[in-house]
Amino acid sequence: MTDPGDAPQRLHILTVIMRFVKRAPSTLVVPPLVLGFAGREFHPVLAFGTFAAIAAAVIVTTWLGWWTFTYTIGEEEVLIQHGLVQRNRRSIPRGRIQDVSIERSPFARIFGLALVRIETGGGKAEEAELDSVSLAEAERLRALLRAYRPSASERADETSPAEPERRTVYAMSLGRVLLRGVFGFSMLWLAAIYGAIHSIDRVVEFDWEKWFGEAERVALAQFSIRALLLVLAIALLLGVIAGIVRTLLRDYGFTLSHEPGRFRRMRGLLTRSEVVIADRRIQLGLVHRGAISGRLGWNTVAVQTLGGSEDPSGRQELSPFATAAEAAEVVAATPLPPFERIGLRPVASAHILRSAIRHGLPVALVFGIAGWFLPPLWWGLLLVPVPVAIALFQRSFHRYALRDTSLQVMRGVLSQRDWIVPFESIQTLTVQQSWLQRRLGVATVVVDTAGASGLHRPNVTDAPLDAALALTRALAARVD
Amino acid sequence: MTLAIVPLTPLERGQLHVIRLRAIRNALVLLAAAVAAEIFVPGLPVRGLILAPALLLALWIAVFAPGRSWRRWGYAFTGSELHVEYGLFTRVHTIVPVLRVQHIDVAQDVLERLFGVARLIVHTAGSENNFVVLPGISRDAAEGIRDAIRERIGSAGHD
Repeated sequence: MTDPGDAPQRLHILTVIMRFVKRAPSTLVVPPLVLGFAGREFHPVLAFGTFAAIAAAVIVTTWLGWWTFTYTIGEEEVLIQHGLVQRNRRSIPRGRIQDVSIERSPFARIFGLALVRIETGGGKAEEAELDSVSLAEAERLRALLRAYRPSASERADETSPAEPERRTVYAMSLGRVLLRGVFGFSMLWLAAIYGAIHSIDRVVEFDWEKWFGEAERVALAQFSIRALLLVLAIALLLGVIAGIVRTLLRDYGFTLSHEPGRFRRMRGLLTRSEVVIADRRIQLGLVHRGAISGRLGWNTVAVQTLGGSEDPSGRQELSPFATAAEAAEVVAATPLPPFERIGLRPVASAHILRSAIRHGLPVALVFGIAGWFLPPLWWGLLLVPVPVAIALFQRSFHRYALRDTSLQVMRGVLSQRDWIVPFESIQTLTVQQSWLQRRLGVATVVVDTAGASGLHRPNVTDAPLDAALALTRALAARVD
Repeated sequence: MTLAIVPLTPLERGQLHVIRLRAIRNALVLLAAAVAAEIFVPGLPVRGLILAPALLLALWIAVFAPGRSWRRWGYAFTGSELHVEYGLFTRVHTIVPVLRVQHIDVAQDVLERLFGVARLIVHTAGSENNFVVLPGISRDAAEGIRDAIRERIGSAGHD
């Protein structure tokens, strides 16, 4: 084996051209134009002169960057060196490499290149990126790095390391992706689009006012209502379209496969991304059902991993839009135990009161205070019963149980979450009692895990105090 | 009433002085701000509208709260878990399983050194409580717990 040997290797030479083209907008177009127009009129000589000078400089620096960057696949480590003045050496022990992923942006596809990411146990900063090598080299590297087994190999029978036995656990058809897109319609998009259109609408209104004057006020008012409805309908439509496009770009060809020790998730229309999730880095499992899509039977399975994720939730989506049976199958492919609905214990009835206060009070306060300044907003107080009514159901949807190997918690009335937290993932346990909770004789058990931060957590809120203490003691005993 | 998971050890007496001195500093800052507001905010209907409540609050912060807050603190080290409890309004009892500890700090600022207490800071891989602080124990106690945890992690690592 001389080819994969210890000689330092460079990235593909086309990388220089690719980077050069990528940098062009910011370096080659803008500065010459700015300089060219610096005087009162356009100076072609100055503009083209700077263009040529900058182009030459960029080519030289890009080439130098390429020339100084080398990688070496050694017997025991991967060594990546770069930098001309300040030399950087990063050595990654091959035993620490979790996996090698290949990413191909549309741009890289044109050049027949691929970005190779060497994933280690640490966070993003500790990974290594080879941007970019030829596709063949990428595949060779992946096979080579995966083939590594520490001297005492436990799987001697695995003779073809390039393609270990792999099965597809979950895949999304195009129809499924589009369906998800319909539900992927986001309020944020709607708000942004609506805001933009509303400001245009105001201008339009102003013009009408100017043209027709005071006498046409009634007609105008009618027009405005109709226009408003139209605008709303358009915004709604745009929101749906934007959601579909976004989902299509992200989830097209979504495939989740499992092979011994790891999941592999591929998705994306323009940028195909491949993410590898090692089984042993999975901290907890979460099955989520959205307020509307969840009622129609669609589940999202996500896992929280060490080192976090680039997904917005901080967790890795394993199957974004799955039926209950498919979701159960995905969970079964993980090392996590299944979520069991039977035998879950409810929290104390005081949870209803606390939820009503927690969700109702902010609404009441906001409209109460706003109404003080703008009396029509008093009407907003009519909304207060909505969160309070939802709160009435909170208790029947917030249940928990201690299983053989995991804590399982379900929570949420409209948007529902089922949590599977293996005992070995629990980092710290906290029992909390606020002033009100002490009066009500309940407590919250906060379960801290590694890998994700955010609003939603597998906590048990408002369990009766003795039950909360018993749960905490039992969990603490199992963690040790 | 404590959360009664394990019997807890109170903090060192020195920590009470540390808490009290910090509270007095906070109360003075609050009073200074209130006096400034009283002078510079124009058109107050009654004199003392800002200063009077601030004075009451400062009195609570500097005189009544420190002792209560100090009494609420407690800790226990069982060998396999570190328990820390505190909280005047919201009571919090945190359990850190020793095997989950990533690293440990023992820290002392000037005030703490003056009163012979130290802070033990235990870091875990968690995301919300990724470190747990136990203040107001003697330096020896802090180092004792640190060494015990270190030994436990070390031996578990070689299993």
